[in-house]
Parts: sequence; structure tokens; C-alpha cells
Amino acid sequence: MSTTIPATEKVDSGSIDWELVRRQFGGILRMELRGTLLSKRMLAVLFLAFAPVALVAVWVFTPMPQAMDGGPMDSVRIFSVFFVLYLGVSVFLSCLILFMSMFRNEIQERTLHYYYLSPVPREVVVVAKYLAGQAAALGTFIVGTAIFYLLIVSPWGLDELSRHMIRGPGFGNLTTYVGLSVLGCLGYGAIFLLAGLLIRNPVVVAIVVWAWEGLVPLLPVALKKLTITHYLQSMYPVPVAAKQFFAVFAEPTPGYLAVPGLLLVSTLLLALSCWRARAMEIKYGGED
Amino acid sequence: MTRSKTTSASSAKPSEPAITAHPVGLPDEETIRFDHVSKFYGEVLGINRVTLRLEPGITGLVGPNGSGKSTLMNLMTGLLRPSEGEVRVLDRSPRDPELFRRVGYLTQFDSFPSYMNGFEFIYSYLRVHGYRHVESEEMARKALHVVDLEFAADRKMGSYSKGMRQRIRLAQVISHEPRVLVLDEPLNGLDPLARSSVIDVFKAQAERGCHLVISSHILHEVDMISDQVVLLSGGYVVAEGDVDGVRSEVHERPIQVLVRCDKVGFVAARLFEEDLALEVTMHEDGQGLLLRTPDAGRFYDYMNRLVLEHDVMVEAITVADSDVRAVYSYLIEQEGDS
Repeated sequence: MSTTIPATEKVDSGSIDWELVRRQFGGILRMELRGTLLSKRMLAVLFLAFAPVALVAVWVFTPMPQAMDGGPMDSVRIFSVFFVLYLGVSVFLSCLILFMSMFRNEIQERTLHYYYLSPVPREVVVVAKYLAGQAAALGTFIVGTAIFYLLIVSPWGLDELSRHMIRGPGFGNLTTYVGLSVLGCLGYGAIFLLAGLLIRNPVVVAIVVWAWEGLVPLLPVALKKLTITHYLQSMYPVPVAAKQFFAVFAEPTPGYLAVPGLLLVSTLLLALSCWRARAMEIKYGGED
Repeated sequence: MTRSKTTSASSAKPSEPAITAHPVGLPDEETIRFDHVSKFYGEVLGINRVTLRLEPGITGLVGPNGSGKSTLMNLMTGLLRPSEGEVRVLDRSPRDPELFRRVGYLTQFDSFPSYMNGFEFIYSYLRVHGYRHVESEEMARKALHVVDLEFAADRKMGSYSKGMRQRIRLAQVISHEPRVLVLDEPLNGLDPLARSSVIDVFKAQAERGCHLVISSHILHEVDMISDQVVLLSGGYVVAEGDVDGVRSEVHERPIQVLVRCDKVGFVAARLFEEDLALEVTMHEDGQGLLLRTPDAGRFYDYMNRLVLEHDVMVEAITVADSDVRAVYSYLIEQEGDS
């Protein structure tokens, strides 16, 4: 057995070596992406992203009896289906599954210490994990949302569909739907990443966040701003009437403020995750 | 290798700190320091008011399960924060990530990312350290060579035996060539051959000036390789220094032993004759003795002789000295085994 390992030491000058941080970040990102894409939870995310697509496909391609066939959906009905199935269930639950487990799984599998015993700031680990989760979620939901939208408007017929997409609002709507999914992933991802660092039971987190988001119409205006739904409302591609269930009964934040607002809230949540990860002790079973 | 000359076995009691005197030796940049460090898990004691200064070489942390060995190691590597006191490793805080360019920690956790093979495991964490692709590949291969696991480099770690898993984790820990190696029960689960080759790795690391801090609940395991030993019991450092010194000091300390047997008068008389009892109290039921002995090792050997040669029926022998009890009984048990 060879036993010669020369002792080497890096010189640390005290200033941040950004090139080194970039390489470390890349190293974590690659591992996290691979770990996420090869995990069973990714199968659940794929199911959640494409099950609504499959449902819509069944609705579109299965001939209905005359009495049951309500004809093509209008834009409000399309958005209602998207809001409930995609934003409310698929994006929400997928982010819960992906981001809650980013730290929680490593604690359960007792592997988090490998990162914490590396010469890498814990903040870099948090951000790399978040972005790896986002890459997996966004890759899935951008494709899923696009197929979902194209399928759901396909009963309009080819001529109408072409007009809608090329000369009408179709392309803009499609972009908006994809944008809503992206922003949903960014916001819910940040919430659940932090929750995974604070709370063990994902069911409790799911219920609390779901209830909080669901209670938006009843919340005072100041608290509405602490929900993801509030920021998404300004991007809804249909006029929001108070009687519609996806309305939040508050003046929506203008789009030019809503998107940066959501990004700011997500960044704040990410900063809280960094703080939590930095303060965390590794006891595996009794993290505090 | 510079060693601390101090050998002491402190009479640590729950109300007293276990503090040992140290000569002025190497600068702080070369040492691992615990300065009145305590760690509590809620109301449960992890370690209490530990003051230690470890210099390069192999240091064995010995104590029974729950004595605070892993807590000490986790504090040394920043996985835990002290409730009180300060830990400095090479004059840096263990919470400073840069420290881990110089420190490798083999934890007690037999776990790893399940989707990786042995090579990927080492390579990936070298990339996390910031090494470039070619460097990381080269260093990973080298570490695999050191632990003799090149043949299993491409196999998923889930298929490894316990011994192989221990060695691949050791390879990961030494792959970045740290100056301080903290190893929590590193010989656990290894067969004699693997044990011997892993011990060779430790010795080679120590020869190049590394700190090695090795924990074990089996004294003779670290006894063979350690320059210095720290005995822990119930969260306290009960003895510290070079191995021979600690052994003799612990043995020189009179301890209280409770013996339940027949022929108590005969046993007491023979123990006095052999200078193995400093004082004896007879139990009222005539079936027991509480005695203080100056040499536990010889006392136990002699009790064996009494049993074999004089048909003394011994029901139980218990160390009754509360503060060194666990360590003492442990020491005796190990020596009895060997």
C-alpha cells in the first residue's frame, strides 16, 4: 500500500477568490442536478407536471356525447383549469417535493456533512442547491406548461388556432402561462427550501402554505403581499373579477413591480435559508 | 515530531473542570486547542469544561460510548458549536470554511450519496473543494491507491462491504491532503488485514507531520498507534498525556471496588498480604467487601488466582469509584481481554 501523500496547503489571503467560488459552485450544482434528476422524487415531479397534460389530452381527443360536450373553452375557463391544476397542484406540490428535500433528504440520509466539511461557504451550498432544483423544475414546467396550453386551445381548430397564435394574443398568453409557472417555481421553491431547513414534516408545511395561499382573499392587504398568489395576480392573462375564485380581492401590484417584487421576496427567503444553513449544527436527528 | 511532555490524570469530578497544564510548545498555528469548552444538548451533557492542547502526531480519544468522543470531534470540525468556551484548530475557528483545506474528518456516519461509485464520490467532493477536473481526477486516483481500492473505483458504493465503505470514506477524507485528520472510530468493521493497512495509512500521515485524532472505545486499538491519549468519561477528560504515562497514573490511583463473594475474611486478609488493599469495609451480611486498591490490574489478576486456587465463589466485582469508574472498568476489561 502506498502511503505517501505530500502535504500541501493553499494560501488564503483573506480576499474572496471568485474563480474558486465559481468552480466550487459548479461542483455542487453538478452533483445536485445529477442527484435530483436521478432521484425518485423527480419521477413524482414529472408525473405532477404531465398528468394535467394527459388529462387535457384525454379531454381533447376523446369524443364526448353531444349533451356533455361543452365545446371549446374560453380564455377564462382555460385559465381556471391552469390555475387549479397547474399552479395550484402541480407547481405547488412539485416545488414542495423538490425543494423541501434539498436539505431534508441529506439530513435523513446523513450526507450533508460532506458539504459542511468542505472549504465552501454554506451560502454557496444553499444557492447551488436552489438553482439545481430550479433547473430541474423549470425545465419540466416550461415544457409541460407549453404543451398544456397548446393542447387546451387545440379544440378551436387549426385555422382559429393559427390566427390566435400568430395574429391574436395566443403567443402572449402562452408566454404568460409559462411565466406564471416560472415565477411560481421561483417563489414556492424559495419557500420550501427554507421550510426544509426549519421543519421536518413536509405535510405540515404543505398544509400551512396551501392554507396561507388559499386564504389570500381573506387576508388584509399587507399580508396579501406575503403570498406568491398576490404577485402572480398581476400577470393573469384574463380580467380578474371579484367573483372569480382566483381573484385575491386586492388591487394587484402592477406587473413592473410584481415580478421584481416576487424575485425580491424569493431572494429574501433564500437569504434566510443561507442564514439558517450557516447557523445549523449537524446532529442528524436533532438539528437545530 | 514534537510532543507534549505533560502526562496527567486529572481527578475530574462533575463539579470540577478537567484542566491539565501544558508547557509552552508549538505555536497556536500548529495545535488544536480546547479552552474550557462545554457542550450541552438541551439539558444533556455532551462534554464539560474541557481544556486540551493537541500537538502534531497521533492522539487517541478513548472512552466508552456516550463519553463525549464524537462531540469533541464534531466541535473540532464545526459540525457543532460549543455552548461555552472556544475551540481553535490551527489557530482558526472550526466555523471558518477555509479551515477544511487543512482538515479532513471521517465521521461515524456510514453514509454517502447512493448514486455514486467510489471514484465519483471522491472526485465530486474534490470539485466542491474547488479543484479543477484534471487535478481532481489525479487526486482521487491517488487516494484510491492509498487505501487499495482502485479495483472497486467504478463500482457503486452500495455494493461495497462495510470495510470497503470505511476505506472509501477514508480515501475521501485524505484526498485533499489535509494537515489534520479527525477520525471517529476508523477501525470499526475492518477485518484484521484492512485494519493493518489502514493503520499503515495513519502512521504515514503522522510521519509527514499531520495531526491525527483517532477515537475508539477500545484502548488497545489506539494504544498501538497513539503518541498521546485522552481518556474521556461522562463528558469529562479524566486523563491525558502519553499512553504509558496515562496507564501508569490511572493504575497508581487507588480505586474503590465492591466485591460480592463468600470467604470475605480470607479474601480481605490475602489482599492485605499482597498490598492490594489499602482499606477494607466488610458488608454486614458477610457476603461483600468494599475496598480501596492501589493497583487495579494486579488486583483483578489476584482475584482470578483466588477463585482458581482457593475456591472463592465471586458473585460480582464492581468498580465503585464514581468519577473514574467507567474508564477504569473499561481499562481493566480491555486488559483482561488481551
